[in-house]
Amino acid sequence: MSEPLVLGIETSCDETAVGIVRGRKLLANVISSSVEQHARFGGVVPEIASRAHLEAMQHVISAALHEAKVSLQDIDALGVTAGPGLIGALLVGTSSASGLALALNKPLFGVNHLSSHLAVDALNETQALEPAIGLLVSGGHSSILKVTDLASDVEVLGATIDDAAGEAFDKIARLLELDFPGGPAIDLLAQSGDSSAIEFPRGLTHVNDREEHLYDFSFSGLKTAVSRYLKSTPSAVRADVAASFQEAVVDVLLTKALSAAKSAGIESLIIAGGVAANSRLRAEATRRCALAGVRLRTPPMGLCTDNGAMVAALTSLMVTAGSTPTSVGFAADSSSGLERLLWR
Amino acid sequence: MSTILAIDTSTDRTSVAIVKDGVSLIELHHDDALAHGEVLPKLVRQALDLENEIDLVAIGMGPGPFTGLRVGIAFGQSFALGRNIEWVGVSSLDAIAVDAGQSDFIVAIDARRQELFWARYFEGGRITDPAVNVHQIVEEFGIPIVRTPPRAGAIAELSISQNLREPMYIRRPDAYPLPAGITFRAATVMDAVPLYALEKVIYKGEDPWSLAQFKEEIAAKDRYYIVAEAQGTVIGYAGVMPAGDLTDILTMTVAPEFRRRGIAREFLKRLIDWSRNKKAVAVMLEVRMNNAEAIPLYEVNGFRKISERIDYYGPGKTALVMRKELRS
Ligand SMILES: [Zn+2]
Repeated sequence: MSEPLVLGIETSCDETAVGIVRGRKLLANVISSSVEQHARFGGVVPEIASRAHLEAMQHVISAALHEAKVSLQDIDALGVTAGPGLIGALLVGTSSASGLALALNKPLFGVNHLSSHLAVDALNETQALEPAIGLLVSGGHSSILKVTDLASDVEVLGATIDDAAGEAFDKIARLLELDFPGGPAIDLLAQSGDSSAIEFPRGLTHVNDREEHLYDFSFSGLKTAVSRYLKSTPSAVRADVAASFQEAVVDVLLTKALSAAKSAGIESLIIAGGVAANSRLRAEATRRCALAGVRLRTPPMGLCTDNGAMVAALTSLMVTAGSTPTSVGFAADSSSGLERLLWR
Repeated sequence: MSTILAIDTSTDRTSVAIVKDGVSLIELHHDDALAHGEVLPKLVRQALDLENEIDLVAIGMGPGPFTGLRVGIAFGQSFALGRNIEWVGVSSLDAIAVDAGQSDFIVAIDARRQELFWARYFEGGRITDPAVNVHQIVEEFGIPIVRTPPRAGAIAELSISQNLREPMYIRRPDAYPLPAGITFRAATVMDAVPLYALEKVIYKGEDPWSLAQFKEEIAAKDRYYIVAEAQGTVIGYAGVMPAGDLTDILTMTVAPEFRRRGIAREFLKRLIDWSRNKKAVAVMLEVRMNNAEAIPLYEVNGFRKISERIDYYGPGKTALVMRKELRS
């Protein structure tokens, strides 16, 4: 079979996104975000997200087709995020995808949001696919994944036991009276700060945590420490606080991801998710990977946050691998883990 | 000559029909409040097995709980896009009325939170705008209330005369763009007189605040008062104050002719935002127990009843005390 033309739909949170790929080549990536509508509430409001998805969906599909210069009739297969995510938001995507699939009589693949984040790595035809450790960090998730084969074998090695990394950024940004979303705001402020000014705790790195939480994360203690520091130190330099907080997060993320790579004998690290856009994380990852002899694979900035191209990319790999499409009328699952890479 | 695929998911029921030249070829339905997403594609495929050539998609646009409604609309619109055909939106309430077989009646769809989406019909036509109210208010008309889920066949029938392009939300979501033409700003002492004037009209005979109280309240350092204006006239106000590690909403008032436009909702948002900035752990408020408009608004915004205060607003006038947690 020639390279499949695949359309992917993503609506798990606040981005209504459609991407189109041919094989491993990106043809279109259109995103309509409702983030501005959520900004003044300091977080995503599910009901607003769902209404915005419904409002934007038809337009985003059409825009993606236009960008890719293909018509719906040319599409070989459809992919959609089936979980995890906000259930009401997911439903708009799965229902739209089901409507398209039945109208076109084309196979539909309900795929996992976490593994599709890593699948953007496949959208580079010059780069061979190889086993990798995935560090997935965003406002919704912080996990270390072991990728043997993106289409069929992705395993969770560790995840956050409380807040997601991006969530920690948002909360600290609020303490520092910065705007939502907090990631870019802290990144910017930290650039003028001293990252070694304050020694903030690194969650779950103690020897006692190794047995149970070797590759897990915890950011709630860090949040408390920053909050306490700000209360007890009226003269605190905000830029130093931002830089030191960011350093603590980056340090623990990379230490754990690289130690996972080492012990699994894997020589590639993929960093994806919204936090992958953080400039300090990128710089430090480049440095440490070079030291460890690990190939660092960071997707382009535009493909780090939630997007449709990643869903199309993963679906395309599954089509090529000969996977069985998802059956008609499948249920989206807000809390699915990676045991469900592809819905049956 | 046309073949219509009709869909409705405005109630617990998922309904699908294919109607060809006015004749129903197949009508399918399944009752499950939580499974529209799974059921709809299956029913549509079953129907398409019988007749695959579709010229138009007719979609029930509600009103109805959004959980199900979004499924029918997203699916129907995308199906039309996939087939390169038109879709037409139809009022689900009107579709119920088609089959009601009465002359003066109300059609209602469960809106959850003990409320109904409803409209009144007389001699075959709708005579009120669709609204959402607590059951009790709808029952007070004393006329029959038809609550049968809409038939997809009736949706197809109405697609000839209707063409809704947006879902019939009626109820605003937890947050929404600002009400059109209304501006919001912090109150100043200059507002004391107009606020007092509005208060006197609205709380006539219910112990309104005095002008002096307003002046004192607005001037007080730790208070936060905001006003809403329409064309330069104050049409509502709200205020909040800190109380230990909580905040307490003191008043929230909107002129009657400006209600149900999202003004109170916007007030509430701003008072909650202010409380968050003050690092409050929760927001409290008191509300008249019979205030059927305000209580659902508070509930939607995360307030939970924690106690009652007997005779709080005078003899026989009980207050509900409600609380919203802010710690996340
Ligand atoms: Zn994501």
